[in-house]
Amino acid sequence: MSVVLFRVDERLIHGQVVVGWARQLRPRRIIVVDDALAEDALEQSIYRTGMPEGIDADFWSEAQAVRELPAVLQSTERAFVLTADLATMAHLTLRVEGIEEVNVGCIHHGGRRVLHYVRLDEGDEQLIDEMSDRGVRVVARDVPSSTPMRLGAQARG
Amino acid sequence: MTGRCGVVVAHGRLADGLISALSRVAGEQDSVWALSNEGLSGADLEAKIAALIEDRCAGRDAYLLSDMEGGSCGQACGRLLAKGTVKAVLYGVNLPLLVEFVFLREESFDRFVTAAVEKGRRALGVQV
Repeated sequence: MSVVLFRVDERLIHGQVVVGWARQLRPRRIIVVDDALAEDALEQSIYRTGMPEGIDADFWSEAQAVRELPAVLQSTERAFVLTADLATMAHLTLRVEGIEEVNVGCIHHGGRRVLHYVRLDEGDEQLIDEMSDRGVRVVARDVPSSTPMRLGAQARG
Repeated sequence: MTGRCGVVVAHGRLADGLISALSRVAGEQDSVWALSNEGLSGADLEAKIAALIEDRCAGRDAYLLSDMEGGSCGQACGRLLAKGTVKAVLYGVNLPLLVEFVFLREESFDRFVTAAVEKGRRALGVQV
């Protein structure tokens, strides 16, 4: 599999991703799937600022991701796929074959505090359970050196 | 009242640490403050920086000093620059740059930003 990280992180491309994960997993490109960002050139340029050399960033709409991710999954190029929220990632796991694990980074927007970098509301918990029920492992881990923590009702027993 | 003020925006406790170090070498300052991105979404960090500037800069020109060019801190700074809230973002902040920022703040804009960044750059090296 050439997508070496599927990650939900409201900060998208930031320090934990380009330092922590990229140094470990060496992606060639980072694909951000976000309908609003795909249309926003200024925001794209802000996210591209300070990217490490040798890593490209792409900003795709969800529809484009559904069309093009299967080819990325088949290729040998190493890629990260990032979404800002669980809903977008849940849609991808439904519509793109072969997503086995979803990494969860920063989610601060409210609800129950699960970890210092993860707060989940009821909608989030439901999305995680739906992904888990379909066999997708949803694992919180902000940086590679952190202890991974499986999320969802199955993990809670 | 001087003409410029700044906010150091950085990961973890770096910004607090830099301001603390600055006060040791240059005395207490009334024109630079620290903010961390800890536990904040990008939008919340941006709002917090804007509120601090609104609250404390009192009509002075505002500058941001971020730890990295990109990352969530650099991105929030970039958005505020695009909105015109601040005059410039100086990234890769270190203590020598910050000292220069404080002491040069009466200089013209061009001389000020060039000299501050040059000072920070020239402060890097290795002794063996």
